[in-house]
Amino acid sequence: MKSRLPYSDTKPEGAADFYFGINATFRFIINKYGRSAWIRYLREMGRGYFAPVNEQWAREGLPGVAAYWKEFFDAEPGANVSVIESENEVIVEVHQCPAIAHLRSGDRKIINSFCQHCYYLNNARAEEAGLSMMVEGGAGSCTHRYGPANALKQEMSDIKEVE
Amino acid sequence: MLGCYDFCAHYDWTFDWIEREGGSPDLIEFWDAAIYRDSQQHAAQLIAAKGIDGMSKYWGQTLSEEAPDGGYETRIEDGRFLIEMTDCPSRGFLLRNQVEFSKDYCDHCMGWIGPMMREAGFKVDHTHNHQGQCYWEFRPDNSKPRAISSVEKWKKELREKWGKASFQLDHFGD
Repeated sequence: MKSRLPYSDTKPEGAADFYFGINATFRFIINKYGRSAWIRYLREMGRGYFAPVNEQWAREGLPGVAAYWKEFFDAEPGANVSVIESENEVIVEVHQCPAIAHLRSGDRKIINSFCQHCYYLNNARAEEAGLSMMVEGGAGSCTHRYGPANALKQEMSDIKEVE
Repeated sequence: MLGCYDFCAHYDWTFDWIEREGGSPDLIEFWDAAIYRDSQQHAAQLIAAKGIDGMSKYWGQTLSEEAPDGGYETRIEDGRFLIEMTDCPSRGFLLRNQVEFSKDYCDHCMGWIGPMMREAGFKVDHTHNHQGQCYWEFRPDNSKPRAISSVEKWKKELREKWGKASFQLDHFGD
């Protein structure tokens, strides 16, 4: 079966030290250009870089979203995630976030708003696919929900800051 | 979530985003501030403290994770640390997936390794061919250049081999 991920590697999992690069990139963009530019960066990446996946989600709907996240987290080292499908919703239960776990084990200073990136990035992707999404929790474990357009509304206070 | 599996591809996309935002000076600043001084601080600390032994340890660990199937060779010769990439896992990922967001992805390595090595007291000689092959030579700042040596012969042979294949070569040297 063709991979649902936009790009494929010769190894089954990514190298976890790249999470250091992601956290450092967020810090640089926030410090250099400001928080609104960081949000724009994530939204533009969601619409542009992830366009092939968004098109797949638009074609396949919520079953495509569920299949994508299962394959995505299989390739992220240290992830402990359950993906639950129902008729009108996909719930991604992140029991252990691989990025936060690796950043903590590497004794890295994590940007406070790190977990918000999942919302800004994935909400832009969901909108492109005619869906909506929201995030609850954070700082190591969280829940992502995907549903039909406008079904889910994000309260930013529902996303925890990383201490 | 932004993952590490396809990191090289969204890293390349990010280079293009930063360059559109602030031009190449911002991209150079990004490699220095975000990659060398933040993301790769473990490499910088190891190499500043242990020199060539630190390089062996850093690249031994990172290349075994990024390229478990090989595609590189490292060695210490004549008091220098040498790397030959025959199948760069990072550039190779982009080539295999036909990803080309930024102007020159390969420049990012020199962008963070260059300032890190200079501050740790090492000179750098590096050439890449944009096809997943490159060489690196790191030698102590106070070492005398030796025009004729097995290291110079090795670098010259690689440049000639890549040149014959009509690859565009970029060279950086202190």
